[in-house]
Amino acid sequence: MLKTSTTDAIPDKKVNATHRHSFRLNAKDKYYAAVFLGPSLLVLGLFVFYPMLKTLYISLFLTNTLGNTTVYVGLGNYVNLISSPDFISSLFVTLFYVFAVTFFTVALGLLLANLASQKLPGIAIFRTLYSVTMGVSVAVAAIFWLFIFNPSTGFFALMSSWFNLPVMNWLTNPTSAMWAVIITTVWMNLGFTFLILLGAIQSVPNTLYEAADVEGASSNFQFFHITIPMISPTLFFVSTITIIGSFKSFGLIDMITKGGPTNATNMLVYRIYKDAFYSGNYSKSSAEAIILTVIIAFFTLLQFKFLEKKVNY
Amino acid sequence: MSKYKKLALPLILVLGIVLIAVFGKALSAKSAVKDNRTEVVFWHEMGGPSEQALVKVVDGFNKSQNKYKVVPKYQGSYDEAIQKILQTHNTSTSPAVFQAFDISTAQMLHSGYTTPVQNFIDEDKYDVSKISAVARAFYANDGKQQAMPFNTSQPVLYFNASLLEKYGITPPPVSPSYSDITRVAKELYEKSGHKVKGMTVQVYGWFLEQALANANRQLANNNDGHTGNPTKVNVNNPDTVEFLNWIKENIKAGDFIDYGSGANAGANQTAGFLSDKVGIFIQSSASMGQLSKSNKNKLGITYFPHPDGKKANGVSIGGAALWISNDKPKDVQRGAFEFIKYTLKPEVQAQWQKSTGYLALNKDSQKTDILKELYAKNPESKVPGEQLAHAKANFSNSGILMEGMQLTRQLEEVAMETVYNGGDIKTALNTADKNINDNLTQLNKANGFK
Repeated sequence: MLKTSTTDAIPDKKVNATHRHSFRLNAKDKYYAAVFLGPSLLVLGLFVFYPMLKTLYISLFLTNTLGNTTVYVGLGNYVNLISSPDFISSLFVTLFYVFAVTFFTVALGLLLANLASQKLPGIAIFRTLYSVTMGVSVAVAAIFWLFIFNPSTGFFALMSSWFNLPVMNWLTNPTSAMWAVIITTVWMNLGFTFLILLGAIQSVPNTLYEAADVEGASSNFQFFHITIPMISPTLFFVSTITIIGSFKSFGLIDMITKGGPTNATNMLVYRIYKDAFYSGNYSKSSAEAIILTVIIAFFTLLQFKFLEKKVNY
Repeated sequence: MSKYKKLALPLILVLGIVLIAVFGKALSAKSAVKDNRTEVVFWHEMGGPSEQALVKVVDGFNKSQNKYKVVPKYQGSYDEAIQKILQTHNTSTSPAVFQAFDISTAQMLHSGYTTPVQNFIDEDKYDVSKISAVARAFYANDGKQQAMPFNTSQPVLYFNASLLEKYGITPPPVSPSYSDITRVAKELYEKSGHKVKGMTVQVYGWFLEQALANANRQLANNNDGHTGNPTKVNVNNPDTVEFLNWIKENIKAGDFIDYGSGANAGANQTAGFLSDKVGIFIQSSASMGQLSKSNKNKLGITYFPHPDGKKANGVSIGGAALWISNDKPKDVQRGAFEFIKYTLKPEVQAQWQKSTGYLALNKDSQKTDILKELYAKNPESKVPGEQLAHAKANFSNSGILMEGMQLTRQLEEVAMETVYNGGDIKTALNTADKNINDNLTQLNKANGFK
């Protein structure tokens, strides 16, 4: 079953490989290539490659008050970062956040999608409700959750006082602040993940379930042996998107915790922003940006190397 | 039928274009006709009620003359504005006059991007003696006025006087010590049956610096940067330890509530204070406008608390100053200075204090009806100004003239948070010292300072 399956990537690679050997450009082709590639190369070069190289360049220097490079330090900025406990903890915090967010987003999204895929009267209401966070902007979500977390007048504080429980100060305790950010991010992500997974579950052919019913398989068995394998490409897509998205998470952190308390939620992207645009330390933040690029590239490669092979029908 | 359907879309498009062309032209013509005044772009960081008050100041200036037109543009928080100002210099978007906060003074000074206001003061023989000397000294270097203080505040301690009355608690003295505040906070917490938290101190590096200023302790060497560029910072000193011990004692007693750091914390603690959840907090005098307007309780104010058995040295000012960029033509810079002069008029400063809580810097403002009425109605609104007048300016309470103050503050806040969450004071302060000094050494190296 696995051996005979073909993914889109495989024939593509073959075509490329054969082309590369017999690739000769005549003058006319070269002209067309220049015309068609020129504009996009220009835009990419100006807005992607030039800033990337410039970041790499700045990361090898110290920058002064005006943001100009002054003293060449080679890999000094990188050495400083790697030997700084602050930065290392930031790295671990980021990884923890990314994996927690991805795990809960995909797990809850799958649960809700599975529930909402039942054919029951009125199910459309739930489908709408579950995907409603897609329409909520980051700023609105952050303020909404800030109201909930407020230790004096917030919803959680009110609930605690009703039940005579001690009031928990979500955003000032390092551990709970991290969970507060995770909860908010998962809540934000859920709508989109739910919708994509629901679409995938609904496109699983009904005949498979009918056959399983005839065999007398339980609904649990059907979920793990039919639904999950059938939607695995979508699961792969959703988790990749969520991992990359959470690495880049900025808005919620900026509005909810500002990286605090005690740097407990100071993720890499937020740290880069703060070092550059609060402290004006462009060299340090450039070095951090390069490190982040390497990490994301590593995870992307890892996913394509390993996870894609596991995707099966 | 289908023939018309095909026509519909292009028709709508054409109609839209015609509409935009006609009305768009009318709209742009309108703005072009307005006037031929010299435009002076003004970047500021005042949000909320303070922004409304500031816009009124600008409108007042624009109406008072017809040569210049000041255009105010909000730039977000103080912290974020600094890099915008530095990085847009020499471009067409840069401001002609801008507001930059206290701790960016060293950066602005070293940037060389500004025209010292002293040049214009000399040209006009403008009399600055009416303007608060303490505030002026903060933004002067080598006897030259670099920027003009505009919104100037003092950190003060607010308490809920109605709650204290209700539970029969003696209010703290005008210039309280740490233990005076602890007493009131504990009593309030106990007598209210643990319903009202006694106090909070926001995780804010400014407060830590002010505690040091009030204890006559310098944070950076070379007299906090006033007699040379600082090369070393010493957060781990007995006065910081005493300040943090004071907070720790209250945390242990249970009467302290921690709202965290940043703007959210500020908003949350104000909400907590106004809804009788916490009785005492420290905040800028600039919050007074908001606190007296929307408060059903009687508001009490005292000076910033000082260490026990020590005389209060007085705190430094906070707030921001107006700087003139040197990348704009002469007449625009002239317009910027005319605007600065206008902001310092007695009536303008008096109205500014009344609507925001920032202190009126012109000594003549005290004689205006606006402030006389305000003091008659809210006698407590005099307190911040009195605290400022009480302090004798010395190196410890004139601010810290040092590069990298923004990061320094963040690191101070990390130390405070560590202590609030039960960490060891000495360890937290040592970590802060190490990180601040590492950054300072690197900055001095990058800038070529010795």
